[in-house]
Amino acid sequence: MLRNYIKVAWRNLKKQPFFTFINTFGLAIGMAGGLLIALFVYDEFSYDTMFPEAHRIHRIDSDVKFGGNQFKMAEVSAPMAETMLKDFPQVEATVRFRDRGSMLIRKNGTETNSKELHATFVDSTFFSMFGIGLLAGDVNTALKETNTLVLTRSAAEKHFGVQNALGQQLILNNSDTYTVTGVIEDLPANSFLRNHSVFLAMAGYEDSRIPDWGSNNYFTFIKLVPSAGISEIETQLQSLFSRYLIPWAQESFPGITEASFLASGNHVYYSTMPLRDIHLYSNMDSELSPNSSMQNVYILSFIALFLILLASVNFMNLSTAQSLKRAKEVGIRKTLGSDKKALLTQFLTESGMITLISLLFAIGIAFLVLPLFNELSGKSMTLPVAEPYFWILVFSFTFFLGLLSGLYPAFFMSRFVPVKVLSGTGATASSGGGIRNVLVVFQFAISILLIIGTLVVYQQLQFIQSKDLGFKKDRIVMVDDIPRNPSQAASLKEEVARLASVEDVTLSSYYPTPSSRSNSSFFKEGYQDQENAINMQMWEVDYDYINTLDIALASGRDFDRRYATDSLGILLNESAVGILGESTESVLGIKISSDLGEENPVFYTVIGVVKDFHFESLRDHIGALGLLPGVTGGSLAVKIKGNNFSETLTGIERIWDKAMPDQPFNYQFMEEAFNTTYQAEQRLGRIFMVFTILSLVVACLGLFGLAAFNAAKRTKEIGIRKVLGAGVGQITYQLTFDFLRMVIIAIVISLPIGWYAMNKWLEDFTYRIDVSWWVLLLSAMIAMGIAILTVSYQSIRAAIVNPVRSLRTE
Amino acid sequence: MLLDLQNIYKWVQQGGQRVFLLKDINLSVNEGEFISIMGPSGSGKSTLLNVIGMLDDFNEGVYSFLDEPVHRLKEKHRSNLYKKYIGFVFQAYHLIDELTVYENLEMPLLYKNHSSSERKAMVADILDRFNIVGKQKLFPTQLSGGQQQLVGVARALIGRPKLILADEPTGNLNSRQGEEIMELFKELNAEGVTILQVTHSESNAAYGTRTINLLDGRQV
Repeated sequence: MLRNYIKVAWRNLKKQPFFTFINTFGLAIGMAGGLLIALFVYDEFSYDTMFPEAHRIHRIDSDVKFGGNQFKMAEVSAPMAETMLKDFPQVEATVRFRDRGSMLIRKNGTETNSKELHATFVDSTFFSMFGIGLLAGDVNTALKETNTLVLTRSAAEKHFGVQNALGQQLILNNSDTYTVTGVIEDLPANSFLRNHSVFLAMAGYEDSRIPDWGSNNYFTFIKLVPSAGISEIETQLQSLFSRYLIPWAQESFPGITEASFLASGNHVYYSTMPLRDIHLYSNMDSELSPNSSMQNVYILSFIALFLILLASVNFMNLSTAQSLKRAKEVGIRKTLGSDKKALLTQFLTESGMITLISLLFAIGIAFLVLPLFNELSGKSMTLPVAEPYFWILVFSFTFFLGLLSGLYPAFFMSRFVPVKVLSGTGATASSGGGIRNVLVVFQFAISILLIIGTLVVYQQLQFIQSKDLGFKKDRIVMVDDIPRNPSQAASLKEEVARLASVEDVTLSSYYPTPSSRSNSSFFKEGYQDQENAINMQMWEVDYDYINTLDIALASGRDFDRRYATDSLGILLNESAVGILGESTESVLGIKISSDLGEENPVFYTVIGVVKDFHFESLRDHIGALGLLPGVTGGSLAVKIKGNNFSETLTGIERIWDKAMPDQPFNYQFMEEAFNTTYQAEQRLGRIFMVFTILSLVVACLGLFGLAAFNAAKRTKEIGIRKVLGAGVGQITYQLTFDFLRMVIIAIVISLPIGWYAMNKWLEDFTYRIDVSWWVLLLSAMIAMGIAILTVSYQSIRAAIVNPVRSLRTE
Repeated sequence: MLLDLQNIYKWVQQGGQRVFLLKDINLSVNEGEFISIMGPSGSGKSTLLNVIGMLDDFNEGVYSFLDEPVHRLKEKHRSNLYKKYIGFVFQAYHLIDELTVYENLEMPLLYKNHSSSERKAMVADILDRFNIVGKQKLFPTQLSGGQQQLVGVARALIGRPKLILADEPTGNLNSRQGEEIMELFKELNAEGVTILQVTHSESNAAYGTRTINLLDGRQV
């Protein structure tokens, strides 16, 4: 029996290659898309689950409001870890990370540096806490001594193998000598430490032992004893504020009390974040690695669901539309003794078969597209073909999809009454048109939603990239890893500035691109108390900074070499001026200092105010910022005249190689560095676009098939109309309009939903576009245009047929 | 008695009025009869045949088939009944285009749960008997109309029914092909199969043992 079903199904499929193609291709695209997104979502949920006992590990976060600024940090102060271990019996172990950013590393005795992008100080408890084994070295001694470090396998292999790594001497940033005491495997791509390759012993980091409760620079993780719950910790955590932070603050600000601290609008809140939730739920001002968000997972899951639904709806539509052709068979089978159940089984077998074939194609497509998708999503996923659970999931999903798509057509077709479908007058017009129309409306509503989504995401990205940021980032090349040696740095800068194609050069560690910075407290002269302290970022820059980046002044003047006193001058941005409670004019000449609690603080005089420029993501407001003169290492920002990029770069590299023959020459365009801030949005935008196109393709395939069917069904009607004098244009219009009506309904349904959903998404951005009416209009027009193109082909084809031919067959 | 119809009425509502398709039909058929139903278009011939074949309902009256009261049976029971005892032959043959001759013949047996070897034997028998062994691998569209109808009759017979219902079995055939089919019916009838055919043609009706004339749903 089953063989008979399969045989009939197979021959039916072969007989109508067009419909078979649309059906399987549509389903395959839907399933491939679903599969890829499922992989993506699975990967998102897998973050940090590889660490044994990950469920017992939590991070301590802080929310600090001080001096007019608020910070939500994944970091707490240095003494937090030790204090928790001492005060909370539930805490079994702690480990702290103090991120150091990038580092130049060379083996002692060699001259050539290699660059490691992420290095961090870490407590020696690191290994036991996260269950990380050493490929070389001893867990009990590694990272215990000062000036020792542990490398990942790939970092170690740049200088020596894993085998003879132990005891090797490494020079960091051309100054400090460290001994290798261990090598670990590269950290998994789905762990919070995925980018880190160098781990330095915290023992050698003086700052980590100072009981300074005011600076929050340490990523602190705690591991609970198995019996403890995190809620107990959470409730007791806040008590540390009054028990430790306030007494510490009183040393600098005599007379401060918890009440007065809170009364002036400040606060310090501590909270915990489970290790496994960090990737999807944590969104702090600083993180060890960039995170994703649950929102993305939701959005993508919905898109996947939509895509699969679209394909499934196609299947239902085409199957029921085609049922005319199968009606006779149903009638015959019924007269030959088949009951409804047997027919249901038959048609479900058929849809099962089609979904299975589609699955084969889908897996093929997924295989081919995965590398592209990886690039798109910034992941490195593989199809887990060796895992039985993967196949179990895929097949049971396919089974359900087959059932879902096949059930309606099966019920629809098995209901045919033999007397009607077998009577000589030919099959009656098939019913079910109503439901088919609803399904088409549904498909187009989803497609329009996705179009709106794509347009809005792109518009917002465009907005961000073209927004007047308050500085000019184009034509600027950043040359990284400038030596800290002041004279060497200065001569390098001078030589680069002499190049004919270079307009300006500035040297600083701080740029309005993603990088790590910290805040410090300042006070006005005469107000050395905590109530009047302001918190702001302080950037050391050189005298050419404002000029090179084209930052506008609101009042006062830029640093000037002619005034010797400018070495103690400071430029503030408008936000900082606002927090100080001054105007851009009145602030000039005011002296401020960061030396809280010291007897002879160094004061800087405000010589000018720069207009606010966006130095952080546009998701945030512009914070308070001060610019101090100072010669530092960091990066040279080179502004190039015109478009002589390659020529200028060659010139700079020549200078670099002459000055430092063994150092790698690293550069990037500021534009690109800036764009990394919006990587997540760009990814989302691209993924959105790809899946929107896919779902449009699927929806159009369905519409195309349905239009073909509709035209075929109405052949006779069209013939009669033509005989009675209707023109090709009129008939085309009529056939097309029937479908456009559904698209119009879809538009009416989806526009308000799209408008609402995208406004919700935009709420995350402080600086954002509005969902404008023309985006909605454009989405509607795109959908309409595509529908017209799809349908009119079939309509015109049907309309130009000679009526003699279509009527003769009757 | 094979079947018995008493006071059968069938109507449809059209514009608030009852339009009668069958009006007070009384008919008994004994085993071994060969009955022709005649009448002009729209006289209710096919409707009557469908009612007898249990493919269509009727509104009033009593119908017993082998002493089973058909009008009181549930759908499932009824379909079991016709599955077992009735074979259908259609004017438009109604073979399944996607199946070969062999598979078309095998299909009714699938619904009767015959084992694979039984099916093989039965299909082989009937192919033999109708002299179409050479055509068993062909699809219906590769056959002439007469050959298709031959397969149609063979399919109706394969389940060894007591009754064959034929709705204008020669309607789409030329006269020579039509005669062949009628000869075949006569032969089958001689072997004891009861046949009920709807026809327009006097000459076809002449093959039967009895003729029933219908006009506007009424026996005349």
